[in-house]
Amino acid sequence: MKILSFLAMMILLISSLLILILNICSKKNFIDREKSSPFECGFDPKSAARLPFSLHFFLIAIIFLIFDVEITLLLPMIPSMTISNIFSYTYIIAFFLLILLIGLYHEWNQGALDWTSS
Amino acid sequence: MYFKDLYMMFLSSLLLMICVLVGVAFLTLLERKVLGYIQIRKGPNKVGLIGLIQPFSDAIKLFTKEQNYPLMSNFNLYYFSPVLNFFLSLFLWMCMPFITVNLNFNLSVLFFLSVSSLGVYTIMLAGWSSNSNYALLGSLRSVAQTISYEVSMALILLSFLILILSVNLLDFIKYQENVWFLFFMLPLVFMWVVTSLAETNRTPFDFAEGESELVSGFNVEYSSGSFAMIFLAEYSSILFMSMICCLLFLGSNLFSLFFFLKLVFVSFFWIWVRGTLPRFRYDKLMYLAWKIYLPVSLNCLYFFFSIKLFIFIFFL
Amino acid sequence: MNPAVTKIFSIAKTGSRYVRPTFQLGNQRFLGSPPKDGYIYVNDKEPSMDLNAITDRAAQTIFLTELVRGFGVTLAHIFKEPATINYPFEKGPLSPRFRGEHALRRYPSGEERCIACKLCEAICPAQAITIEAEERADGSRRTTRYDIDMTKCIYCGFCQEACPVDAIVEGPNFEFSTETHEELLYNKEKLLNNGDKWESEIAANIHADHLYR
Repeated sequence: MKILSFLAMMILLISSLLILILNICSKKNFIDREKSSPFECGFDPKSAARLPFSLHFFLIAIIFLIFDVEITLLLPMIPSMTISNIFSYTYIIAFFLLILLIGLYHEWNQGALDWTSS
Repeated sequence: MYFKDLYMMFLSSLLLMICVLVGVAFLTLLERKVLGYIQIRKGPNKVGLIGLIQPFSDAIKLFTKEQNYPLMSNFNLYYFSPVLNFFLSLFLWMCMPFITVNLNFNLSVLFFLSVSSLGVYTIMLAGWSSNSNYALLGSLRSVAQTISYEVSMALILLSFLILILSVNLLDFIKYQENVWFLFFMLPLVFMWVVTSLAETNRTPFDFAEGESELVSGFNVEYSSGSFAMIFLAEYSSILFMSMICCLLFLGSNLFSLFFFLKLVFVSFFWIWVRGTLPRFRYDKLMYLAWKIYLPVSLNCLYFFFSIKLFIFIFFL
Repeated sequence: MNPAVTKIFSIAKTGSRYVRPTFQLGNQRFLGSPPKDGYIYVNDKEPSMDLNAITDRAAQTIFLTELVRGFGVTLAHIFKEPATINYPFEKGPLSPRFRGEHALRRYPSGEERCIACKLCEAICPAQAITIEAEERADGSRRTTRYDIDMTKCIYCGFCQEACPVDAIVEGPNFEFSTETHEELLYNKEKLLNNGDKWESEIAANIHADHLYR
């Protein structure tokens, strides 16, 4: 872990150094109001960029969160197979995956996975 | 002794990173050449010997371009998210398994999963902080796509992992000595390829930068160095995904030259796909992730778990 | 093309199975309207639902034949000869009627052809040509000023059609880009120089096209 964090520090250092070098390299500098305004096909943006938000994306993120938590619960099953009681292990896996599958089908049935609201 | 080891490791990982970056440079050249020939034209063939130095001249051009400062942006986030993106995609390479000198950790698959899912945040930050309609839309779409496919990616990966019963990437070598996983997990392999295409935002699923809809996606506001960072990060993640593909189901003997030829072929395949397939539709992409790949990969997981248990109980 | 590539291409063309009736009735094509029963149904046909057809379609889906065929097509294209030319070193063919950079021609004696009739100035739709004329010392009518604003010119070729003596022509040169606007405001000297420079090509083009003028 310590080594890994050392390596992370090193790579972070390299990448920040790189962007520093890049900014020193880019000599050209011509600041213009139009140029530094947000990209919008030549006119001033009509709406605030951050205000309109589609709730679909949020719902997808929530479903993702559930499944990700379940994956984190599934991952330790792999190394623990050899060291656990095989019958309880089998039951746990079977029920867990069954619950996951049924949950997914339930969500599907309730229309949480529909992207376009028909 | 310990310090010498550490020193050696730093050196070798530095070497790995440099090689990855050079590889990325030539991957862009390969992409432009192959796309060119697919469209019956030549691609870059002037700079240096038959265009071999083209990526470096591109890099010099990109680096000397002007850095712009969008007025509405949250500048610090805007400035550092490409750096973070680049950092993460290089850090991902640390889990490339080595027997000696460099790292080989037991939980490298977990490392791969966690670091690759961290990449989502940088995309989100880059889109959000540049505070432009197109950038935000692009980042939203890209994030939704990436996290949707991450679920099925992890589940497909689990089916592979339960067969080798370990979360170390090095163990794939041992289990594929006689037969590649490609041959008896073919549907899963297809799913894995599609999923990793979606994870790296490559062409049939390049909704992050759908030019016809969103100009350039979450990186509209970026220029020069920052854009180069995002670009490098994307292509190094492509290379990394090709490596993971080779490890997972293409024999994965990391210590033969053949492995690297396979890696080149897989990354060529990525480009080939880009030259062949048109862009998908966004709702279809979501349906593919949630309604097809997720149930199928869960059922496959069930199947492989039971096979493994069967083997484990009766044959081991 | 080598036979393997041809094979892949012929597989890729699914439409080739549906031969248009006009091909079958080859000699009737020249008789005017197609026969009454020669209509082509262009809408999608209802897919056949017998077991054979369904199995066929399922097999096509399962074995990803469409994807594989698509990949085959692109792979075959990689090995095709590129359709591009190596531009600054190789150039595409030009028609003798190509309308490029303007030139003022001379007679073989060295006398300039232009007689300052100002027909080109009159016909120029972009009003790019400006001519001033005076009587020369030997009594002939010649231009003192002949300017073409190449940034106004739309290269319609009316000037060379209007010219009674073939003096102003649009030559075959299309590589005359400059870095400033001023360099594209051609005067008489520049145009005459062009004429001297491109005379052989221009003469050849005019000769090649003389039957149709």
